[in-house]
Amino acid sequence: MTGKKLLSVRNLEITFRTEGEDIPVVRDLSFDLDHGDTLGIVGESGCGKSITALSLLGLVPSPPGRISKGQILFEGEDLVQAGERRLNQVRGNDISMVFQEPMTSLNPVYTIGEQIAETARVHFGLSPAKAWARAVEMLDLVGIPSPDTRAHDFPHQLSGGMRQRVMIAIALVCEPKLLIADEPTTALDVTVQAQVFDLFQELKQKIGAAIILITHDIGVVAQMTNRVMVMYAGRKIEEGPVAEFIRDPRHPYTRGLVSCIPRLRLPPDDHPAPLFEIPGVVPSPWELNRPGCAFAPRCARAMARCRTENPVLAPLGDGRAAACWLETEAAA
Amino acid sequence: MLKGSLRKLLNALLLMIAVLVLNFTLIHIAPGDPVEALVGEMGGATPELIAELRSRFGLDQPLYVQLGTYLGRIAQGDFGHSLYYDQPVTALIAERIGPTILLVTTALFSAIALGTVLGVFSAQRRRSVLSHLVTVISLAGFSAPVFWVGIMLILLLSVSVPLLPISGMSSADSAASGLFYILDVLHHLVLPALTLALIYLAFYSRLSRASMLEVLGSDYIRTARAKGLPKRMVIYKHALRNAILPVVTFAGLQFGQVISGAVLVETVFAWPGLGTLAFESILRRDTPTLLGILFFSAVMVVVMNLVTDVVYRRVDPRIKAR
Ligand SMILES: Nc1ncnc2c1ncn2[C@@H]1O[C@H](COP(=O)(O)OP(=O)(O)OP(=O)(O)O)[C@@H](O)[C@H]1O
Ligand SMILES: [Mg+2]
Repeated sequence: MTGKKLLSVRNLEITFRTEGEDIPVVRDLSFDLDHGDTLGIVGESGCGKSITALSLLGLVPSPPGRISKGQILFEGEDLVQAGERRLNQVRGNDISMVFQEPMTSLNPVYTIGEQIAETARVHFGLSPAKAWARAVEMLDLVGIPSPDTRAHDFPHQLSGGMRQRVMIAIALVCEPKLLIADEPTTALDVTVQAQVFDLFQELKQKIGAAIILITHDIGVVAQMTNRVMVMYAGRKIEEGPVAEFIRDPRHPYTRGLVSCIPRLRLPPDDHPAPLFEIPGVVPSPWELNRPGCAFAPRCARAMARCRTENPVLAPLGDGRAAACWLETEAAA
Repeated sequence: MLKGSLRKLLNALLLMIAVLVLNFTLIHIAPGDPVEALVGEMGGATPELIAELRSRFGLDQPLYVQLGTYLGRIAQGDFGHSLYYDQPVTALIAERIGPTILLVTTALFSAIALGTVLGVFSAQRRRSVLSHLVTVISLAGFSAPVFWVGIMLILLLSVSVPLLPISGMSSADSAASGLFYILDVLHHLVLPALTLALIYLAFYSRLSRASMLEVLGSDYIRTARAKGLPKRMVIYKHALRNAILPVVTFAGLQFGQVISGAVLVETVFAWPGLGTLAFESILRRDTPTLLGILFFSAVMVVVMNLVTDVVYRRVDPRIKAR
């Protein structure tokens, strides 16, 4: 691939129209992804992770939502400018997505085989028989036992974990270049969660697609991805390689986040450390029209400047960056 | 599966008996005496004749004996004789059911077809002219009484512009036969069917619009779009198949209620169907006929419920599992 980035998001802004006003829920967001790379996106509920993911597929619910600024360059092509017809060629074919809700994300009136096969028919122009065979193959790949009989099942006949496997099969049937998984295991039992992540690990080797994994769980990010991006109130506030990030988080919010990971393996004589909690709650989007860092009201180390000026994202070397005045001033 | 069907049939049977008992009791509790009504129409009669009539119809027996006799006869398929027409009730019903079914099916099917199309399109463009039109139609259809709509249509399409006949099912003076007879009937059918269809249309366009809106907002539609399926596949394959489920249910229910649905329209347009017969039987205190019609319409409801059940199973795979 001519040295082009697989994905390059530039200054993305997404707004939702609320009471006649366009309220930004994602602001000035930029990030890159190479072929075969894995990126974790973490952040508190409502910080804009899902809406960012949907925007990559041109699926921001509109109205009331819309992409108001920026570019989404996929192999150099700006998807923000792309028409519906072009987007349909990209969706499910070049970029596909696994959603958070396996129980409701499959159509109840069609068999799972059909729901996988139709994607292959539409994008690859396969004959019905070939597409069905491909669907069975995919079910096998995602670890569904006796796939040729199971393909005739309807979604309600499967457990949540099995349905999420089917969703993964749908997402992978056209061998996408980018797979987005939006909290793919949040709705599942803990044991099933582990199985689904094992499946992701295994498939990551096999398919070589780039992966964006959205999650609340830093532990999962540490296991699954190379790089991580932290969002807070619609902005990117920190990013970097996972190992350094976990060892030495820079933004006060991410420090809090990392110290929230319960440490299970303790030396025998050690007492468990008390679980850390970040005080306060995420501000709602419309509270954010005031100047200053969105995290300042909850930040123990906030300075006067933090309440008046929004921090810029400062590079910290090794591909790391953080948006915090403390870092900028330490560097100066 | 077989056991389930058997239980359903048994339930239906019990229900029918309950309906018979209830109808019978209610009508006999209601004020008004069939013999007096009959005598009134004959222009008076001697007390002897009245007593004779009473004993001939068994009306001098206690109510529970009458009920027993009635149930016994029905078990043998005998619904008795009309007190007004000199005809068995079953023959009367057989004669009148055709026009009613013709009227109601025409109205219901055109309303369902058009209503679903309107609902589906307007759900996709919530701010379009079409969408507002659907809202207006359904509001009007819901608030306007059937007979008023009927009379307005008569004024519009037979009085101002004399296009369509006002009443009946065929022209009295014509001895037309074959194709001409059919055309004549269709000509007469337009107004009553249109009236009834407008009422149903209000309902179905609203129902399918609401259902479609709900489905379009569901997660599996988002999945279908994320797969890159073309819009027509998202709408007609993934959304419509789900959105149609409530339409199927209500169509079945309403088809079962043909007769009650048709009473007012038939009366306005003097359409010679079961609805008119029911209405007249009430006025004439023609109890056997009325009971026959009521029973028949209860049977229709039960049968249509069973049919709807079967259809529903075909459309919604989740039902089969249970
Ligand atoms: N359809 C919508 N209409 C209005 N606002 C919306 C809509 N969808 C999302 N938002 C707003 O966009 C913001 C970001 O939502 P998003 O779903 O991306 O959060 P998230 O980070 O994925 O949260 P979670 O971890 O809970 O999934 C939220 O503040 C939410 O209120
Ligand atoms: Mg989310």
